[in-house]
Amino acid sequence: MSEMFDEVVVVTGNRPLSGSHFLLSVESPRQAQATRPGQFAMLRILGRSDVLLRRPMSIYDLKTWNSEGKNVRKAGTPRTLQFLYKVVGHGTRLMSQLKPGDQVGLLAPLGHGFFEEEYLPRAHEANEILHVAGGIGIAALLLPAKRLAEAGFHQRLFMGGRSKADLVGVEDFRPLVRGMLLATEDGSAGYRGFVTRPLEEYLARHSKKKYLLMACGPWAMLRASVELAKKYGHPCLVSMENRMGCGLGVCLGCCIRVQGSGHEAYQRVCTEGPVFWADKVVWDMGGRA
Amino acid sequence: MRTKRACHSERSEESRSDSFRHGQSEIPRAVYPEQTAKILLPRLRDQNDRRRVQDDSEGARNARLYPDNGQTSESERFIPHIETEIAGIRFQNPVWTASGTFGYGKEFSPLIDLNELGAIVVKGISPEPMEGNPSPRIYESESGMLNAIGLQNVGAKRFLTEKLPYLRTLKARCIVNVFAYSTEDYIRCIETLNEGEGISAYELNISCPNTRCGGIVYGSDPKLTEEVVAACKQAARYPLLVKLSPNVTDITVFARAAESAGADALSLVNTLVGMAIDIETRTPRLWNVTGGLSGPSIKPVALRMVYQAAQAVKIPIVGLGGISTTEDALEFLIAGAKAVQVGTVNFYDPGASVRIVHGLCDYCQRKRLHLSDLIGSLKLRE
Repeated sequence: MSEMFDEVVVVTGNRPLSGSHFLLSVESPRQAQATRPGQFAMLRILGRSDVLLRRPMSIYDLKTWNSEGKNVRKAGTPRTLQFLYKVVGHGTRLMSQLKPGDQVGLLAPLGHGFFEEEYLPRAHEANEILHVAGGIGIAALLLPAKRLAEAGFHQRLFMGGRSKADLVGVEDFRPLVRGMLLATEDGSAGYRGFVTRPLEEYLARHSKKKYLLMACGPWAMLRASVELAKKYGHPCLVSMENRMGCGLGVCLGCCIRVQGSGHEAYQRVCTEGPVFWADKVVWDMGGRA
Repeated sequence: MRTKRACHSERSEESRSDSFRHGQSEIPRAVYPEQTAKILLPRLRDQNDRRRVQDDSEGARNARLYPDNGQTSESERFIPHIETEIAGIRFQNPVWTASGTFGYGKEFSPLIDLNELGAIVVKGISPEPMEGNPSPRIYESESGMLNAIGLQNVGAKRFLTEKLPYLRTLKARCIVNVFAYSTEDYIRCIETLNEGEGISAYELNISCPNTRCGGIVYGSDPKLTEEVVAACKQAARYPLLVKLSPNVTDITVFARAAESAGADALSLVNTLVGMAIDIETRTPRLWNVTGGLSGPSIKPVALRMVYQAAQAVKIPIVGLGGISTTEDALEFLIAGAKAVQVGTVNFYDPGASVRIVHGLCDYCQRKRLHLSDLIGSLKLRE
């Protein structure tokens, strides 16, 4: 795990996207440079006494530009962190009201991302890396996809949402992947139904090939994707989400049930995760561990 | 000596003006040495937090009114003593971190200087490792949070080998919160922990609301409280604090019961039992259905109980419950607590505890009071 920093950072942009999605940009060179793909941040709305806890946010993208929108001298050094989020509750509603120049508290980067050493051999073994995103889950996958594309890996995106408005971020993925297979529950874009439908078709059609799945999304979608990966014998990494209190590993609020017993039975999404091997997670705990 | 240094006016004024410059300039933060930046940045956030802006500007005003530019001699400068003594143990200051909100201390070491704290009360330790409750374990409420973690912990033996060696190296005292399901298990846990070196005291948790038996069962019956405290006191090699539950009608009954059974001090309060419901699915927000409410929303209740208990017993009181600012801590001290514990705020503002230490020094200096003058100094209207 890389070093984390607790900082007060300046919002440089908060752009509304389709549906109730937003793209928040904050300038924080130190945190941006320390970030590894798949890590997350804890974001705190300042000056509120009713909303106290920070919100966990996947680090969606890193940009080299500064607050004036100009690229800085040292090319390739990230200065800005971006967060793709959906307004779902009180905290994210307050986030959506942030304006350039506002300040937020940011604890980042946190957790084990997609690029831990033990994961890489499996990526090299695979013919192609399949990203499986459920709605806003795509926020955890862009940085890994970028890094893998730079390294010359073949990749493909499977993305699902309730409707077309939920398919945010696919344009950012387009240059990185060989193909994108989309699905919406209402049929407004791509396949009608869940994302696991095109995924299963694809896996069945290419059953001889080796894949590595990287998935992030709602519990039910993850569970179904993991079952498919298991059925077709492919390794699968999942980026988990859960309510979090601290992001530091002390509140134990974000623990999920994993294989093991005693105090090993629960692991912290914030510290041991958010990325786990799918077979490590216990998936059948009444819908949710 | 440490305390004096921590209270030294030059130091705090210097860092304050530093953080002001910080906020106004465009200089990247990285130009400051790593360690300084880590201390300054939470302070910078302080100034942006509306709740605290007034106090900070007051401090700044004082600094302008009484400039300390070398003309004041060392003897004239008031250096407050903020050490506190509880159960015969000296703490360099009265600011502790509360059990369950600070892990085993080390988790915070990249963010704050743990040596500045009075004590660290570690996560509840049981005789055997515990796995805790299924998720969801936490839920945010207005100005607070509900938790039902279920005391997931590494157990007494692994605590001694894996966690204590690091805690021993710190200037902050180490207090071990002890939890079990039965009197025998409490004793077994304490006997295991007795072998550890570097523990300053135990905090007996008889008030956890999130486990089926043990915990709050002992804390909601004065007879059982007396029984378990007496048994643990006899077994304990180190002084014994007893952490009381606020989920009782009369806190003084339990405070007296613990005192008469031999408790060296009391910590109060633990969390208030609460719950929340998801109206869309009509399911409880917590797996455990109910959970412990903590955070700023419980502060008035906790403060009242600390005040009542301080009137009722002679042993020292350690106050906690929603303390998130220097002002909160001062209220508890004035109400009669000899030390305070900072809890839930650690989750969302890891720098808060150390900032409260500094804030306490600044307040004592401004009022020209030592900590001992402050404790229990509440002035009631005639």
